[in-house]
Amino acid sequence: MKRLNILIGALSIPLFLCAWELVARSGVVNAVLFPPPSVVAVAVLEWVRSGQFFSDLGASLTRVVTGFVIGAALGIVLGVLTGQFPLVSSLLSPLFHILRPIPPIAFVPIVILWFGLSEAGKLFLVVWGVFFTVWLSTHIGVQKVDRGLIRAALMLGTPRRQMLQEIVLLGALPYIVVGLRTAVSISFYTLVAAELAGAFAGIVYRIEIAQQNLQTGQVMGGLATLGLISFIADRLFSALAERTVWWR
Amino acid sequence: MKLALASSPASVESARKQPAIQVSNLSIVFDTNRGQTIAVDRVSFDVAPGEFVCIVGPSGCGKSTVLNTIAGLEVPFEGDILVEGSRVYSPRPDVGMVFQQPHLFPWKSVRRNIAHGPRMLGKSRTEANAIADDLIAMVGLKRFADAYPNTLSGGMQQRVAIARALANQPRVLLMDEPFGALDAQTRAVMQDNLLELRDRIKATIVFVTHDIDEAIVLADRVLIMSAGPGRILREVAVKLPRPRSSSIMVEPTYLSLKKDCLDVIRAEGLRAFNQSDAS
Repeated sequence: MKRLNILIGALSIPLFLCAWELVARSGVVNAVLFPPPSVVAVAVLEWVRSGQFFSDLGASLTRVVTGFVIGAALGIVLGVLTGQFPLVSSLLSPLFHILRPIPPIAFVPIVILWFGLSEAGKLFLVVWGVFFTVWLSTHIGVQKVDRGLIRAALMLGTPRRQMLQEIVLLGALPYIVVGLRTAVSISFYTLVAAELAGAFAGIVYRIEIAQQNLQTGQVMGGLATLGLISFIADRLFSALAERTVWWR
Repeated sequence: MKLALASSPASVESARKQPAIQVSNLSIVFDTNRGQTIAVDRVSFDVAPGEFVCIVGPSGCGKSTVLNTIAGLEVPFEGDILVEGSRVYSPRPDVGMVFQQPHLFPWKSVRRNIAHGPRMLGKSRTEANAIADDLIAMVGLKRFADAYPNTLSGGMQQRVAIARALANQPRVLLMDEPFGALDAQTRAVMQDNLLELRDRIKATIVFVTHDIDEAIVLADRVLIMSAGPGRILREVAVKLPRPRSSSIMVEPTYLSLKKDCLDVIRAEGLRAFNQSDAS
């Protein structure tokens, strides 16, 4: 039974691609709106050959990575501060809780007003999306550190002023890492919003242009690329996360 | 680390020396949403240096609260607590504690966990590791020195917790139902291990439990606490010979002691029942 499962699993994507190819070529749907995988593949190859693929990929990845790093750094620092110090939490948490649920895409019009069409605007959107996720996980992680660990540390002579670096940060690390991993996915979502806010290069930008020119093959190729890099990023991060939380 | 052999416990000489722990009229009141509850009601007792005292009582009688207060973890309180002659305000290095859960630092190996205390007191990594290795040998976990807590069983984790608490060579060791979370077999083995250990370390031990058998097997003296608000009902001296092991539980001397304790506990149980019934 297990072998049958593995066989079907391996055939899943090829079968889907064949079905897609047949349906698209059969004339049941408009070939312009729903091109077969072969057409998509050709469009992607052309995109790569022209060199535009790499500049688009570079532009998108730069935005995602820079936004992630800035948003994560801010999120961790503020999460530790609000988690550890009640006064800071009373001041900032209500504000963050209200701002957090606003989806970055809703900010696009105001970002264009504030930042014009510059990179800063796109970065702002990615940072916004990443920051709140990482902040919340860090805040919760710091608060949820096992009180017993702190009492044990106190009885072993750990001074209270050293508790943060000795116990709390490592105790909160598993939660922080979960927040970071979620933020990786979120940074790709916000990338879509960011590149819709007037870009001149990038994967989503290319999808936009292709859609306007009814190059559906290119659109699908762009979407597939987006999905693929998001998937790879998540996998890489999860492997990294396992190594960071070495004791689990 | 050299381990000094224990001097003869609770002898006439020790009684003349200053008590290791002096608790006078300790009262602790908690604010709850139903008003104030008196957790501990004017508890007083002394513990002589090197003595092994067990506090036994039902769940919720405040015995853990008393221990936490001696540890410096629970403030404020009314009354006086002196450990080694000085008043208790906060956790101090000469008082070690073992909790019901091991609370080992999951990101540190067994050795690093035990070395944590010495490191906090300023010892170098080499010194601290050497101290840790001595204690690891003493609790019989040499093979697991580099293992992480999540790979150890409950009993092994508690052994590490005990070793960790001993690393700073505390004068007083407080143990809050440390074997409560273990199964019966492991508990019996741990009790025997503790009895052996106790003969090798020169520390005053206060051990809290709800198990009367455990209390009598381990202690030089048993303090029986009432149900909340906690008061000391009776002090029972345990004049059973040392070295001891859990096999003593079938001896007539042991059983007669147990009967005395159970009589006190039963009388109190009846009183508390009638009181709650009357209201």
